[in-house]
Amino acid sequence: MSETILQLQGIYKNFGSVEAAKNISINVSKELFALLGPSGSGKTTMLRIIAGLETPDKGRVLINGRDVTNLPPYKRGIGMVFQDFLLFPHKTVKENIVFPLKMQGKDESTKEEQYQWVSQLVHLEGLDERFPYQLSGGQKQRVALARGLVSRPSVLLLDEPLANLDRELRKEMEIEIRRFQLELGIPFIYVTHNQEEALTMSDRMAIMRLGQLEQIGDKFELYHHPQTSFVASFLGSTNAMQGEIKAVDNGCIVVDWDGVSLRAPYKDDFKIGMTVDYFLKSEKITIHPPGQKPDDHGRTVIEGRLRDTIFKGQYADYLISLKNDNEIIVSDVPTISPALRNATVSISWPSEAPDVFPADGGLA
Amino acid sequence: MLFFFVLPLLTTVVISFWRTESYTIIHDWNIDNYVVLLTKHTYLVFLGRSILMATAVTLISLIYSWPIAYFIAYAGGRYKLVLVLLTSAPFFTGIILRVTALQQIFGPIGIINTALINLGLKPINAFMYSNFASGMGLVYLWIPFMILAIYLSLLNFNFDLLEVAKVNGASPIKAFFEVTLPLNWIGTAVGIVLVFVPTLAASITPRFLGGVNGALFGNILAHQFGATGTWALGSAMGVVLFFVSIIAIFLVWKTVDLRRSGFTGGDI
Ligand SMILES: Nc1ncnc2c1ncn2[C@@H]1O[C@H](COP(=O)(O)OP(=O)(O)OP(=O)(O)O)[C@@H](O)[C@H]1O
Ligand SMILES: [Mg+2]
Repeated sequence: MSETILQLQGIYKNFGSVEAAKNISINVSKELFALLGPSGSGKTTMLRIIAGLETPDKGRVLINGRDVTNLPPYKRGIGMVFQDFLLFPHKTVKENIVFPLKMQGKDESTKEEQYQWVSQLVHLEGLDERFPYQLSGGQKQRVALARGLVSRPSVLLLDEPLANLDRELRKEMEIEIRRFQLELGIPFIYVTHNQEEALTMSDRMAIMRLGQLEQIGDKFELYHHPQTSFVASFLGSTNAMQGEIKAVDNGCIVVDWDGVSLRAPYKDDFKIGMTVDYFLKSEKITIHPPGQKPDDHGRTVIEGRLRDTIFKGQYADYLISLKNDNEIIVSDVPTISPALRNATVSISWPSEAPDVFPADGGLA
Repeated sequence: MLFFFVLPLLTTVVISFWRTESYTIIHDWNIDNYVVLLTKHTYLVFLGRSILMATAVTLISLIYSWPIAYFIAYAGGRYKLVLVLLTSAPFFTGIILRVTALQQIFGPIGIINTALINLGLKPINAFMYSNFASGMGLVYLWIPFMILAIYLSLLNFNFDLLEVAKVNGASPIKAFFEVTLPLNWIGTAVGIVLVFVPTLAASITPRFLGGVNGALFGNILAHQFGATGTWALGSAMGVVLFFVSIIAIFLVWKTVDLRRSGFTGGDI
């Protein structure tokens, strides 16, 4: 990985009794770094601390090795794109975009040059003299991005920049933003609570919860090898189960989930009698047509009733009712006919598919 | 509207084209009053003084009102409205008491000078009956209108835009002139008019605080309706004031560019 541009070291921030940042340390290089977490987890607070709009109670912010913790925002040379665009309503598109250059006292020819460059980059040609109220949502978003990029900042912060756009436009902008990042070669820190967005766009990502970082890493790593229950349940479409370890067999544990046996790889901290959370992404499960029974070697195989099929095009979600009255969602290729509703089917998954963690407290 | 606004104005205009002799109005159409006003040095000097005074009072009010209105709108929390209404305190006691209170402060034996004398220093003449004292009195009197106008404008101001400005490299001062002031210019312009126009016609405050040399156009005007009984000339002076006010309003209006005010609700 290339060199580190932005470093957060042991950041703490409290608002009254709310811990909005708790021992946050991150290094970000020239990459698209996504910050994902539920509402109120402290994502915006973190961006605001990086931008200098909020001072941390403890810890340091470094940009290119320089400690900027005590610098005011206007001396940090950071670009930021806000959730609700926040364009200056009294300035034209062009004036909005060159604002950062104007503040830096750049001369007219530099302003013009940078403006031409950025307005082409974000495809804003011909809108120079419009006022923000004369723009569509997507155009506003582009202006906000252009304003964030025009001065070629050392870091660009994006706080849910696509949250106010419709789905079509969001898809398009996701790809665009990714392109800007590659073209500019600066770190983008991208806050979102839309995991699809984070997974599509990012190189690495961090999951935040209650002011803390749950896990940082490569997006595949986070998706396939979550390190905490929260990350396992938060990412993807996940079936969450809980049960007691009944046996250890051949490098696997067998978990009793309300009378249904589930298999998972053995880990050192597992003991018989321990209660565990068992998370299984729905696409890691295979559905077998009625009458076919898979080989249960190294797999968990259970039978259930196909309660409903939700056809999604490339795949389908099958809702399977189990004999223990629980339900499992399976995402698989849409091969099972919807006419088979209420048929008995088998579902199965390899033993290493689930993510299993000791439940809170560990013991039942 | 017609009755209260146009009729008195019309009467004034009509009278200003008549003349007065020995305390009676003579219905004899002429423009002598205006000739006198526009050629006689003294009247022009008083008018000039009043315009200068109104300008100074407006500027001082502007400089004081902004931080006060800003503070209330930004940090007033749930006490905003009460705080802004309390700025009307100068009006609680009526004009005479208010002016007398100011005399207690600025006058020859007022608080400031008494303190100076007690400290063995020379009293400051500027504080005694002078244009300075009436200027301060006028600021004190009209500033609530300015504060209120700016405050109401700030209520609709999105303070987040200042954070945007700062992240994009604007120091607090630049952010004020680039973002806050332009987006609150309509309110500020209203405040300017609400202070400038009444100050231009002021007579009571300068009479009590201005002393012998502090007379303004408004005092001379009032005089025409009192001791001298030259109502026609007084009316002409009123008409002149009216036009100066209209010009001032026009000039202020010209500074407002709706598209640059952030206002998108159509014409105002
Ligand atoms: N200025 C503030 N004063 C008091 N509490 C605050 C302040 N700013 C944030 N908080 C609190 O800090 C916590 C984190 O807020 P933050 O805005 O960072 O969350 P977020 O992850 O951005 O959420 P969302 O996805 O809803 O935008 C929340 O509990 C919030 O209420
Ligand atoms: Mg947020």
